[in-house]
Amino acid sequence: MTARHLFALRVVPSLPVRQAAGSAAIAAVLLVWWFLTSGVTPEARTISPSVFPSPMEVIRGFPSLVTDRNLIGGIAASLNRVFLGFGLALLVGIPLGIVAGSFRLIGAAAQPISLFGRTIPVAALLPLTLQMFGIGELQKVMFIFLATAPFVFHDTARAIASVHDRYVDTAQTLGASSADVMAKVLIALALPDIYATIRTMFGIAFGYIMLAEVVDAKAGLGFIMLQSQRRGMPEHLVATLFVISALAYGLDALFRFFQRGLFPYREDHD
Amino acid sequence: MTSDATPPPASATPPPVVKFDRVSKTYDGGYTAIRDVTFEVDDVPGHMEIVGILGPSGCGKSTVLRLIAGLTPQHPATSGTVEVMGKPVAMPGADRGFVFQDYTSFDNRTVQDNIAFGLECRGMGSAERTALAREWIAKVGLDVDRDAEKYPHELSGGMRQRVALARTLILKPRVILMDEPFGALDPGTRYAMQDLLVSLAREVQATVFLVTHSIEEAVYVGDRLFIFSNAPGTILRQMSTPPPDRPARVMQREASFLDIVFEVRDIVDGIEESAGAAT
Repeated sequence: MTARHLFALRVVPSLPVRQAAGSAAIAAVLLVWWFLTSGVTPEARTISPSVFPSPMEVIRGFPSLVTDRNLIGGIAASLNRVFLGFGLALLVGIPLGIVAGSFRLIGAAAQPISLFGRTIPVAALLPLTLQMFGIGELQKVMFIFLATAPFVFHDTARAIASVHDRYVDTAQTLGASSADVMAKVLIALALPDIYATIRTMFGIAFGYIMLAEVVDAKAGLGFIMLQSQRRGMPEHLVATLFVISALAYGLDALFRFFQRGLFPYREDHD
Repeated sequence: MTSDATPPPASATPPPVVKFDRVSKTYDGGYTAIRDVTFEVDDVPGHMEIVGILGPSGCGKSTVLRLIAGLTPQHPATSGTVEVMGKPVAMPGADRGFVFQDYTSFDNRTVQDNIAFGLECRGMGSAERTALAREWIAKVGLDVDRDAEKYPHELSGGMRQRVALARTLILKPRVILMDEPFGALDPGTRYAMQDLLVSLAREVQATVFLVTHSIEEAVYVGDRLFIFSNAPGTILRQMSTPPPDRPARVMQREASFLDIVFEVRDIVDGIEESAGAAT
């Protein structure tokens, strides 16, 4: 493959070439990072260590992040809030979405409220939930719930509504009752799309929780980051960022794994 | 049609399988799909009938099928009565099976579970319906061992329509409605499916309504032809055709068969030309 081929419009390079390109980009970023933060003395560095740590400082900061800052406990606290808040959003959003997608009158009734819920900026939910639920755990959970439920509802309703009429027609001419059509056709055929929504929204909820945790939390990944910043330990702040990124990737990989097993009849798994 | 006023005694003859009496359908937007469609297909024991429906595009052929099936928004008719086995059509049911042109296999079900769908809705037990479904997999020419556990995305178009046929016929419907079922298949597969349809419709003793664009297919499969006019559609001609008693590939090459095809083609072309002149 010549260089001209590599840069041809929309031509997909082979997997090793794509992986090499990705690795090269990471290496370039690391190199720039290393260059900007290298120097024997703090004064010799382009960026001061109090502003941004060097790659080695971040790596050296990991053990103390785990021991002194209770990283594992922070991960557990953050995940717990996401599971509770997002779990509640699924419990409410999915059944309501199924009903709204199946019965168009109810869908029409819910539409403006759903639109309102989806257009509230997520940051605006912070003062609202603090006002309503105080500064405890409930506020964090309800923040995640309110931030994700409208989207879970909306996407579920849309997945149900977009099951093609011809499947409903077919089922009815095979003797299916309305309950059969809902359970065996609408929900069954929309399930892969609903699952895809859950997967996407979980990732977003995991991101949102950091926002709630930098406001008045006593544990969690967002709390660790805020504390690191306040105590002037940027290496912990940056290390936590990498932990969050790795965790988000790992959780999504788990969702993808189950997606393959649950829906073997769907080929579009990514 | 004055004879309609004095029906024969009810005990002497069973009601027609399907009866349309001056049926019209006009949609909310004002578009009239069919106008004054009247026909009867009688229930003659031991003689099932295949009715081929031909006509220009958009002449309401599908509307007729969907009215028999009771599917919205075509059902209910704006005026006139649609009766199946002497009763007005109220809603869809398994007594009137439907095979669509689009592939309508349920993506989440294997071949076997697709075919068993209607039995499952009837509440038949898992073991019993699976055994029946496997019987029908073989009857429509699929391989039980190889195909039963396949998902629809692993099947060709012809195989999907075999599944659709099996799924409908397993319920032993009295009427089978088919809307261009073989329209998307290549010619060789099409012949095979026509032969399969004829033999299976005889086996389950169902009356078949087959909407098709292919005059050869309508003349071959059909015992009777309805030729529709341009929209708003109405039946312009009804004619009998020789029953399909030889394989499609053989019969459709015979001179006497082709004579009928040309005759029908002249009629259909005439309809389309008159429409062209009118617009």
